[in-house]
Amino acid sequence: MTNHWIDLKNSDCILIMGSNAAANHPISMKWVTKAKENGGKVISVDPRFTQTSAIADFYTALRSGTDIAFLGGMIKYILDNKKYHEDYVVNYTNASFIVGDKYDFSDGLFSGYDPKKRAYDKSLWSFKVDSKGIPEKDAKLANPRSVLQLLKKHYSRYTPEKVSEITGTPVEDLKTAYEMYASTGTKDRAGTIMYAMGWTQHTVGVQNIRAMSIIQLLLGNIGLPGGGVNALRGESNVQGSTDQAILFHIWPGYLKASVASLPTLDEYNKKFTPKVADPLAANWWQNYPKYSVSLLKSFFGDTATKENGFGYSWLPKLDDGQNCSWLNLFDSMYDGKIKGFFAWGQNPACSGANSNKVRKALGKLEWLVNVNIFDNETGSFWKGPGEDPKAIKTEVFMLPCAASVEKEGSIINSGRWNQWRYKACDPPGDAKPDGDIMIELMHEIKELYKKEGGKFPTPILNLKWDYVNDKGEFDAHKMAKELNGYFLADVEVQGQKFKKGDLVPSFAFLQADGTTSSANWLYCNSYTGKGNMMARRNKPDPTGLGLFSEWAWCWPVNRRVLYNRASVDLDGNPWNPKRPLIKWDGKAWVGDVPDGGWPPMSDKEKTKYPFIMKPEGFGYLFGPGLNDGPFPEHYEPLECPVPENAMSKQFINPTVKIFGGEMDKHFTCDPRYPIVGTTYRVTEHWQTGIMTRWQPWLIEAQPQVFVEMSEELAKLRGITNGEMVKVSSARGEVQCVAMVTTRFRPFKLGKLTVHQVGVPWCFGWVTPKEGGESANLLTPTVGDPNTMIPESKAFMVNVEKLKGGA
Amino acid sequence: MSGYSILVDTSKCTACRGCQIACKEWNQLAGTATKNTGSYENPKDLSSDTYKIVRFAEGQGANGKAFWHFFTEQCRHCLSPGCMAEVEEDEIVVDEKTGAVVYTPKTKDLDFKATLEGCPYDIPRQDAKTKVLTKCTFCNDRVGNGMLPACVKACPTGAMTFGKRDEIVAAAKKREAELKKDFPKAVALTPDDVRVIYVLKDDPKTYWKYAAGR
Amino acid sequence: MNVTRREFLAISGAVGAGLALSSLGIDLGPAKAYADEVRIDKVKSAKQSTTICPYCGVGCGIICYTDTKAGNIINTEGDPDHPINEGSLCAKGSALYQISSNNPDRLKKVLYRAPGSDKWEEKSWDWALAEIAKRVKKTRDQYFIEKNGKGQEVNRVEAIAHIGSAALDNEECWPVQAMMRALGLVYVEHQARI
Repeated sequence: MTNHWIDLKNSDCILIMGSNAAANHPISMKWVTKAKENGGKVISVDPRFTQTSAIADFYTALRSGTDIAFLGGMIKYILDNKKYHEDYVVNYTNASFIVGDKYDFSDGLFSGYDPKKRAYDKSLWSFKVDSKGIPEKDAKLANPRSVLQLLKKHYSRYTPEKVSEITGTPVEDLKTAYEMYASTGTKDRAGTIMYAMGWTQHTVGVQNIRAMSIIQLLLGNIGLPGGGVNALRGESNVQGSTDQAILFHIWPGYLKASVASLPTLDEYNKKFTPKVADPLAANWWQNYPKYSVSLLKSFFGDTATKENGFGYSWLPKLDDGQNCSWLNLFDSMYDGKIKGFFAWGQNPACSGANSNKVRKALGKLEWLVNVNIFDNETGSFWKGPGEDPKAIKTEVFMLPCAASVEKEGSIINSGRWNQWRYKACDPPGDAKPDGDIMIELMHEIKELYKKEGGKFPTPILNLKWDYVNDKGEFDAHKMAKELNGYFLADVEVQGQKFKKGDLVPSFAFLQADGTTSSANWLYCNSYTGKGNMMARRNKPDPTGLGLFSEWAWCWPVNRRVLYNRASVDLDGNPWNPKRPLIKWDGKAWVGDVPDGGWPPMSDKEKTKYPFIMKPEGFGYLFGPGLNDGPFPEHYEPLECPVPENAMSKQFINPTVKIFGGEMDKHFTCDPRYPIVGTTYRVTEHWQTGIMTRWQPWLIEAQPQVFVEMSEELAKLRGITNGEMVKVSSARGEVQCVAMVTTRFRPFKLGKLTVHQVGVPWCFGWVTPKEGGESANLLTPTVGDPNTMIPESKAFMVNVEKLKGGA
Repeated sequence: MSGYSILVDTSKCTACRGCQIACKEWNQLAGTATKNTGSYENPKDLSSDTYKIVRFAEGQGANGKAFWHFFTEQCRHCLSPGCMAEVEEDEIVVDEKTGAVVYTPKTKDLDFKATLEGCPYDIPRQDAKTKVLTKCTFCNDRVGNGMLPACVKACPTGAMTFGKRDEIVAAAKKREAELKKDFPKAVALTPDDVRVIYVLKDDPKTYWKYAAGR
Repeated sequence: MNVTRREFLAISGAVGAGLALSSLGIDLGPAKAYADEVRIDKVKSAKQSTTICPYCGVGCGIICYTDTKAGNIINTEGDPDHPINEGSLCAKGSALYQISSNNPDRLKKVLYRAPGSDKWEEKSWDWALAEIAKRVKKTRDQYFIEKNGKGQEVNRVEAIAHIGSAALDNEECWPVQAMMRALGLVYVEHQARI
């Protein structure tokens, strides 16, 4: 979230799309309700009428996988009717930038496409720059090669009629939704978006969000209280686990994972430290080497020296372009290339797309370590349905760990609030905190390498691993301080003197010479000389906007709303004086921690542009960095119900990776699978249900997997409410209780009628006995070309009565 | 009028079922084995293990659009409790301070059928083993100790609020008037007769068969 | 950690401790008897500690009430001082009580399943961690990749993979990725990718 949960109350219009917040983030509705009580409106757009739709002021449906068409139509509406916030668009976005001559778009393809590689040459999409290297601009936005004019041209094709033919949303409903939301384009109004996996789990996932970002920039909603682009994260610490980079492609703090073509630290730092000609661009990432060196000092402690590149070469390098993300991981495991596997607090046998493939892959392992608080379908896969234990050679270690209330540490919520948790009781039996398990296991491995030697032991032996108290137990405070970072020598930085061993007060003090450590620069400022900032419980709220800046701590540097310098005009006055997030008092900013302390834009000497994380300092209407194009374009899902893409000859996203294995089957417009399928969760269960299916109160309230379908489809198939039916896809089948509902309706796509159904993925065979299976047995092995997040929200299925009944 | 009341503003309910589970947690009631019968609603009925159920009702409005109504069902704590008709001693008592209608263990001696028939809302149930009658306690133990009823405390959206009876009655009538602007059938259900006052946007029958009584 | 209580909000004239009728000797506890000791008294004398809900990303505050003698959690409910949830909780948050040691189905022992076996065996931590360490070393040493096809130094292991977890604390997420990267793993992923 650029903003945070409480800030929803400041919104004049909340679009909830790609999310069923009432079911999956229930307490968010406290603040949505407050917004409504303040006069705000709520729009719910979802293939199915949900718990969220039930409290919305306006609801309309769209077919899964057509969000870009819906949003593209809104972009057109905003531009055609000049609903955008002109001052904001001219001064804070790249609307005025001139795009280079090589950029082009024709019939669904951007310039630079290589069909063999299924990839673009993105260098063709760059901006035109002057002799100093600064982008050329046309403040009047009239140049036909200006971003705004190209945007207009691109979305001129997204007429309400065309959009309706793709999405199945009635034209009238499109107009109502567009009008309601575009009303936030004035400077005294703010609109926000609440989205979740309903937008990310598509082969156009990132571009769904890009489309909304364009709308938010056009309406001047980013940086404002009650505005922003708000991803509702589904797990209590998925923000933190991402920040700490439990992902193949990044290091903690969103630094890049190293690659083979960058053999030295100098080459690595040079590659990822952008150089920008414009002196008014803050270019935040110019600090890259300070963050990377401080990280390496946390990895390897005293053994990381300037001479050995701070241990840079001890960390593994990917081949350039190598992608080790989830779907590839399980593909490789299925091919027998992965021998050992840690599934730590995860249940991929139910959570992974195309779970049948995942389950088969687990059987090809030599050993599996599963750490969990409950038995689950992954650890027990060898005795699952259809498996023959005798034939499965995988050794399995199931390690019992502590629940959240049985240990101490911090988690960071979707609004980036990092909050400290305390231990309330001991774990049961032999179960122990994950921190202790990893400390002890790595200690064992270190001892083995010390004793026996082995391949490249340096990083193992040099890994700093002292996060324990005097009893040898994992010490969360010690680790939290390391995340913040220390001064490693007596130094003077920015006129302040620090002693070796002092905690670094904020990332502005980090150094690239090895005199500071910080395991994650974004967390620098979280545990300082003032104490554990994450444990704070003070509640002053001077702005009345609900920032609660002294409650817990949020990154970066306790800034509660990102890009907040875009919430003010050029003189530093809030666009809406009734909601003063920050304000320039002539000398300094008052309110939230500003996105940099420079004076407002009217001080043309000392200011910096507000979008400090973008190299040029401007919000990206034209976004040349993504793999599938600088403007979002509608493509059909890998599996879809229509014979062609109504928008262009390019049927599916041209840059997705197609998996071609025996278990990766997919069918489009196949009469065997004529119904659009989607997956979701329910309030009572969490993810695969491992932390909820074992709880008698929750499983009582939501006991069995079901399939929701329209009354029309049920009639076609002769299905009655409550009977057992079979839902099948090219990859698997799930027996479900039929839930026949008026909340799902058939879609009219031109002359075509298309049905859609939905199945939750929170069930599995381990418990309860008659609970049924995960919807992920149905989902395809295909991912977004930028993130590789699987397309679990739009695929094709069939629904039929169980033969002989049940 | 003395004591306390609960306002259930169903127009703000999202069916998160925090109240349903919080009730089980505070009262330490067992989770029972259930099946999905084509609805989110579960368990299917009140019992000695369930004092509160969120009812899910859906349909199509006059405008052709779907609706989904949520009704968190529980004892209304009537001002003149019909369930007390058979009471001879202190099988069922009204706490004069809070207004809670409380079933004591002595309800095992009551005629269950008669007690149930006395309730217009079909609330009392009997524990099969102990024969004790059960229902929502108004969290009288919590209320008596300055704590909110567990269900009210759990409610995130303000669909359930707790307060002095006169204030809650006034709030219910005010909310009914507000909702009537957009929803002509909006109604506060018998605020002068019960302590748990429901405000609905639509015909009570579209929420739950006993929403407005038998 | 100071938990200030404001349970009854602005309702003045609360009933105060004890019930009017209890002085008449009538048992006003819920009809379903749950313990020899009255629950409210147990809860009032319990040790309170704050936590954050382990489920979705909203980050609601919850108070755990721990029995000071037995050491187990006897009650959990929303933290009324928490600015996000202000004491409220959804179904999952309200059920936190059943995730702790109160749940009889929690895993309590290290379990091992041998190749081809159809059952779990209970093991000690010492045994399991030593055995896992041996397997990590064997697989790593056997499949370690020093140089790629182009002859560039890569020092990585592709034969071991790790996933998880968004359910870990930050202070656990960091060391788990550090440990896996120090071993040379590149297949290091978790829920954020799905």
